[in-house]
Amino acid sequence: MSIELRDVHRAFRKNDVLRGIDLEVVEGETLSLIGYSGSGKSVLLKHIVGLITPDRGEVLVDGKNVNQLDVEELNEVRRDVGYVFQFAALFDSMSIADNVAMGLRRVPGLYEEEIVARVRECLALVDLDNVEERYPSELSGGMVKRAGLARAIATRPKYLLYDEPTTGLDPVTATVIDRLIIRMKEDLGVTGIVITHDMESAFRISDRIAMLHEGRLRVIGTVREIQESDDAFLRAFIEGRPELMESTS
Amino acid sequence: MNGYVVTPVRYLGRWSIRAIRSLGSAGYLAVGAVGALKNVEIWGGRLVPQMVAIGVASVPIALFIATFTGIVLTLQASYTLTDAVPMYFVGALVGKTMILELGPVLTGLALAGRVGAGVASEIGTMRVTEQIDALETLAYDPVAYLVVPRVLAGLIMFPVVVVLATAMGVVAGWGSSLALLDMSSAEFVKGLRLFFEPWDVQFAAIKSVSFGLVVTGVGASYGFHTRGGAAGVGVATTRAVVTSSMLILALDALWALLLL
Repeated sequence: MSIELRDVHRAFRKNDVLRGIDLEVVEGETLSLIGYSGSGKSVLLKHIVGLITPDRGEVLVDGKNVNQLDVEELNEVRRDVGYVFQFAALFDSMSIADNVAMGLRRVPGLYEEEIVARVRECLALVDLDNVEERYPSELSGGMVKRAGLARAIATRPKYLLYDEPTTGLDPVTATVIDRLIIRMKEDLGVTGIVITHDMESAFRISDRIAMLHEGRLRVIGTVREIQESDDAFLRAFIEGRPELMESTS
Repeated sequence: MNGYVVTPVRYLGRWSIRAIRSLGSAGYLAVGAVGALKNVEIWGGRLVPQMVAIGVASVPIALFIATFTGIVLTLQASYTLTDAVPMYFVGALVGKTMILELGPVLTGLALAGRVGAGVASEIGTMRVTEQIDALETLAYDPVAYLVVPRVLAGLIMFPVVVVLATAMGVVAGWGSSLALLDMSSAEFVKGLRLFFEPWDVQFAAIKSVSFGLVVTGVGASYGFHTRGGAAGVGVATTRAVVTSSMLILALDALWALLLL
């Protein structure tokens, strides 16, 4: 059971965003994906659920090539892969309960009572109480992110993809989200890929960290390996010191 | 000097490329929408709310426009026909013009603004805030969820709104002929019935169905292919209204050419 990208290339017009990505995320681990803005992290993540198709290469989820599946097969894969969007992407015309229930309504054989119970359970898992009838615009940034996470876990996915889950949050709320990510892994056994710019968060939640740079994976390793790496681009990123990068050019 | 020549040519070239690209995108979406018709479990529950939003909620503005159109038409007919032909021709002119032309076209243009802008901006906002991507990750076909119910609602409800608006325009014309002109009901109704053909109503219905398709389809297409945040939503909305208004007028002429 794993997510695997093999030699994935993707360009948008003349801009080569991904230039041959090889990556395997194994069952039960949390991998953080770091890199400069515009380095293609979100593009990479969207390949995994078939929102973007590669120009070349393969994306495999549990051994199934995402880009060769018919609609029904792709929907089955998508039920196994929850996606937490950067700004949550909650449906603003719906209540929080309906947002969380959206994915469940596409699961065959689930009765309404089970859906209602599952919605409550998911909201409780992300520590959101009494928000079922409220609308996304009525919630704070941190609550919206948690509601997005509740929606993503509603179908009990094996994998969770987080696109900058703590960006724009205050440090305390960011820590709350980090703990939720850890809880998803420890309590639900979810395999996760997390895009983040927050290195403290990455060190806290990750088993491994990979750095995407100029369309390729520049560095990948355990938290300790990353902390001890002397790669100039990685050090510049971690320490927020662009001069380290300039010294290599 | 050269710049004066090159700039319009360049502008025309860019406009042509954009028009061809939009046409391709709309065609692709149309094929997807036809294919998505089979996913009734996705769009079925959304049809009635869209019929209310697109049709029922449009009735007040359509009636408002039709009322004043009927009044003005009556006064202008009276002004034009005075002493030349019998006054009951006012009824004929109001009825014929409202049913064949002004009822469908003015309602279509009003709804291009109200419905077309609404569809484009709503779907466009969902695109730029990744809500359409979210739909896909939750195993929904976004075309079945967003486009099909809106287009079907447009096809069903535009003729209903046009019929109501046309009836309102005729009634307003009738009322104003009694109140403002020295005409009797019998005269107005005589004129109304004089040139009435049942086919006229079918002709108006065909036109309004096509307008419903154009307004919702164009709005959905521009919304679905929105790029670039709030500014992109604004551009998509403006283009949806302008394009559907132009297409309504072009279709109006086409139907007249083909069916009358």
